[in-house]
Amino acid sequence: MNTISVADELVVAGRRTVPPSHARNVLTVAHRELREAVRSRWFILYTVAFAVLGLGVSFVSTAVAGGTGLSGFGRTTAGLINMVLLVVPLMGLTAGAGSVASDRERGMLQYLLAQPVTPGEVLFGKFLGLAVSLLACLCLGLGTCALVLSWQGQPTRPGSILWLAGLSFGLAMAMLSVGMLISVLARKASVAVGTAVFVWLVLVFVTDLGLMAGVVSLRMRIEDLFLLSLANPVQVFKMWSLHAAGTTLDVLGPAGLYAMDQYGPRLHAIFAACMAGWVAVPMVIASVTFSRRPLI
Amino acid sequence: MRRSMCAILLLACSAGGRPQPDEHPVVSPASVHPLGAKEAALPTGEIGRRIAAAADGEVVEIGPGVYHERIQVTRPLTLVGRGRPVIDGGGSGDIIEITAPGVTIKGFAVRNTGIDLEQENAAIRVLAGNAVIEDNVLEDVLFGIDLRESPGSVVKGNRIGGKLLDIARRGDGLRLWRCDHALVDSNIVHDGRDTLLWYSTDITVRGNSASRCRYGLHLMFSDDVKIEENVLSENSVGVYLMYSTGVELTRNQLLNNRGPSGYGIGLKETDQFSATDNLLVGNRVGVYIDGSPFSDKKPGEFTHNTIALNDIGLTFLPSARGNELTENNFIDNIDQVSVAGRGDLSGNRFWKGDRGNYWSDYTGYDQNGDGVGDFVYESQTLFDNLMDKEPKLRLFLFSPAQQAIEFVGRALPAVRPEAKFTDEVPLMRPVPARYVTADNRGGSGFLAAAGCVLTALGGGIVLAVTWPSRSRRTASGGEVSGLTLVFGGVR
Amino acid sequence: MIRVESVAKRFGRLVAVDNVSVNIPAGDSVALWGGNGAGKTTLIRCVLGLLNFEGRIQVGGHDVRRQGKLARMQIGYVPQELGFYDDLGVSEAVVFFARLKGLTLRTTDGVLASVGLEGHGRKRIRELSGGMKQRLALAIARLGDPPVLVLDEVTASLDACGRRDFVSMLTRLSGAGRTMLFASHRIEEVASLAKRVVMLENGKVSAVLDTAEFVSRSCPGSVLHMTLRPVVRNQAVTLLRESGFTATLNGVGILVPVENEQKAVPFRLLADARITVDDFELIPAAQLGTGGTTGHAESEIHP
Repeated sequence: MNTISVADELVVAGRRTVPPSHARNVLTVAHRELREAVRSRWFILYTVAFAVLGLGVSFVSTAVAGGTGLSGFGRTTAGLINMVLLVVPLMGLTAGAGSVASDRERGMLQYLLAQPVTPGEVLFGKFLGLAVSLLACLCLGLGTCALVLSWQGQPTRPGSILWLAGLSFGLAMAMLSVGMLISVLARKASVAVGTAVFVWLVLVFVTDLGLMAGVVSLRMRIEDLFLLSLANPVQVFKMWSLHAAGTTLDVLGPAGLYAMDQYGPRLHAIFAACMAGWVAVPMVIASVTFSRRPLI
Repeated sequence: MRRSMCAILLLACSAGGRPQPDEHPVVSPASVHPLGAKEAALPTGEIGRRIAAAADGEVVEIGPGVYHERIQVTRPLTLVGRGRPVIDGGGSGDIIEITAPGVTIKGFAVRNTGIDLEQENAAIRVLAGNAVIEDNVLEDVLFGIDLRESPGSVVKGNRIGGKLLDIARRGDGLRLWRCDHALVDSNIVHDGRDTLLWYSTDITVRGNSASRCRYGLHLMFSDDVKIEENVLSENSVGVYLMYSTGVELTRNQLLNNRGPSGYGIGLKETDQFSATDNLLVGNRVGVYIDGSPFSDKKPGEFTHNTIALNDIGLTFLPSARGNELTENNFIDNIDQVSVAGRGDLSGNRFWKGDRGNYWSDYTGYDQNGDGVGDFVYESQTLFDNLMDKEPKLRLFLFSPAQQAIEFVGRALPAVRPEAKFTDEVPLMRPVPARYVTADNRGGSGFLAAAGCVLTALGGGIVLAVTWPSRSRRTASGGEVSGLTLVFGGVR
Repeated sequence: MIRVESVAKRFGRLVAVDNVSVNIPAGDSVALWGGNGAGKTTLIRCVLGLLNFEGRIQVGGHDVRRQGKLARMQIGYVPQELGFYDDLGVSEAVVFFARLKGLTLRTTDGVLASVGLEGHGRKRIRELSGGMKQRLALAIARLGDPPVLVLDEVTASLDACGRRDFVSMLTRLSGAGRTMLFASHRIEEVASLAKRVVMLENGKVSAVLDTAEFVSRSCPGSVLHMTLRPVVRNQAVTLLRESGFTATLNGVGILVPVENEQKAVPFRLLADARITVDDFELIPAAQLGTGGTTGHAESEIHP
């Protein structure tokens, strides 16, 4: 009994009746999410993997140029884009998928939502926190690559690494958004992560292979091909980063030429709109669903 | 009349045949018209009066100033600008017309021609032989220097800037029509249509640069042409050789020539040519070979060229045969060698004796240390093969799906495509370059800065979150991170 | 303070809560009583606005669905087990929830001290014992001094000792005119904390009783309080439980609810096992149910 000393007056700053604003709650949740993410194992794992892969890609491509000191759209940028295409969607999707579902499974979500917060605040707070942690991860990975490359004297087009970082972040946000939608809909954390990996496979491999089959077997028209590929955020990222890295899209053959001809200067806006759509739409669906049924 | 002539010409070219010059009526591409026939001629100005007053062979010096007049040089004179006098065409018609042989025009700035493509408004039009056009600056011109039947002429050290019109409405920066034994040296052409040689023999084109044009250098039915040390960048095509014989390309740089038919060097039914020590970087297609060499008198020789970082290093149309490629560097082209459509490269050789080419994607090794790989280099990636057959598939370049297909191609011999060609003696190391490398390392410092910014941003976030600031730790040990300062928190 | 009007909640075909109406005025303390699946936890989740339901619930005049944030500002919630991010520091957690409630804490010391957790601020939550976690949850629930406490079987995962400590702490806290709504499986908790008991059966309210009435109904006899030497207490409890009594450890002795015709049976059983009873007291069940807010029942049990 005497281990407990109950104070008659709790030391509190006084009773409040007005709940904190949306923004404040979102930031509170985001801050906590960010702290947890940065301390977590996956963050360190992804950051290290990203930097190591990036450096590997860069070194291989520098070595292959055979010391001729040539620059251009070489395998460095292409290799980095390729690596981002593979790794970043996986990062975003799994980070998002793990967010809500595992909290729900462990009962944390119920406890959190019993506080004066709305489900929307929790969801957007988590999104913000995870997005910032992904940003840190990408910046560390690509920044290390850039530093080592510049130390090696590798010539690269000015700005392309910044573009790559920015666009990778965009892709990460889009994938995070999809991941959070999966998380909101899934009943179990394991199901959410499994679904996320499946979606990753679909976006990264299956849709492209399907479109390729369509091109070869159905003689798909170029404009259809281009429009369909705009539906895949991974393809959008690829085209956009090629476009932004100072290369014209004619690298991508007839479809790229068509895009340049048809849309030319509007391509940046088109790609941005597609990417923004992939960030916004899943998040909006997720927040509507989550607000209606936070606990399933 | 004029239109129908052009139409005939166009038809002849597009038919892909090989019409001889003699089959054409001998007229210049646009009929010669006297100055001022259409445009209201400006009153004869000071330069005109000086020319009229000069004796044959005299040197007429023109002082600085802006002269609004059209100039006709009808007698052999040397016209020299001192202090770069400006001759302004006022936006219509031609500006200088030379009708006498042996005229020299030197040191002028000529600007502002008309934009009538049918009249072919030109800054300097030469209609007689042995002209010397040197050290002039041409700005805002439809056609720059247009030489018609001016054998033995020299065009040297001029700078020619075209009008920033849509490519279909531009004129040629420099054009030689039936000008044998001419020298084109150290000119800079930008924002024009083509630099063009028609029906001209024994020409040297040396040290010029052309950028942002359609064809950096275009040969039509021109024989015995030496093309040396030119830098042709960011055009649709760097050098396009058509129906010409005896062309030597040496130490040229062909950089970033892109677009639907972006080639570094395009060869169409050209014969007895050689390309040596050229640098081809960042083009959509490094070398495009269509029906060349035309005869079997001499193989098409490609030696010591560096073909790097192009989307496609070398494209052969299936009809192309008789080329020999030795000691070239094929570095990091997305597709090293392709055959457009179906076909094979059996009529071309990729090695001679014991020397092949350097291929950056060669995976073999060299046990005996003779500098030559112990295994054959074969180009046979599945995706390359698919792309050759269906160019639309290029859209999926750099995607993981492409790698998946390559992986399948390597893992399953059943789907592995036939090798397009083989190099029996691939080189282990690149052949030392003999061109002057353009300095394009400027990005390195920027890269370092970008790297610093990114690392600082990422590290900053992590540190702010994980590094609790000592002074703000609460008595009971509640850790207050740096980020709390941003997000708020315990106060 | 809490007004529940015709609330119904279905999960698919299962009706978890069926047309429940309860009105809890300020200062009242209501226990939800019922077996597993009776709808206690579902009703509490509805009150917290965590579920969609038919009908209407107001807390402090705010509709929990339309003004969920305002309604939850009035509520301090303690779950069955504090399931929160294990890696979070104890003080960090307090700061986090204080911010969510719009509070600005100068220090977390006072908050932790109020539940006997002083000095544990730098520990991680996973390093706390079950009882400490529940006390932390209580401290968090009381941040901002909300007028309503909602407790969901808060002692279910505690051992007997921790349970008694926690209940006694709650008893004192709820004395200050707070409104309480809680679910419980334990008669002594209900007896010491509740003023009224809402009996739930298959999602429906089967009865609303005074606590005294509830205790006498659900425990129609007396409670035997036997004082035993420490070494034999556990043995005695085990022995009595094996014979069908719901004996529990309590202070210097054990508590055994007994039916009216069997008051002496425990003595016989203990005597058979050569366990000496030093002293005993027989407390009529009706006396237990004198209302939860005064701590009276507890003082009866602990002389």
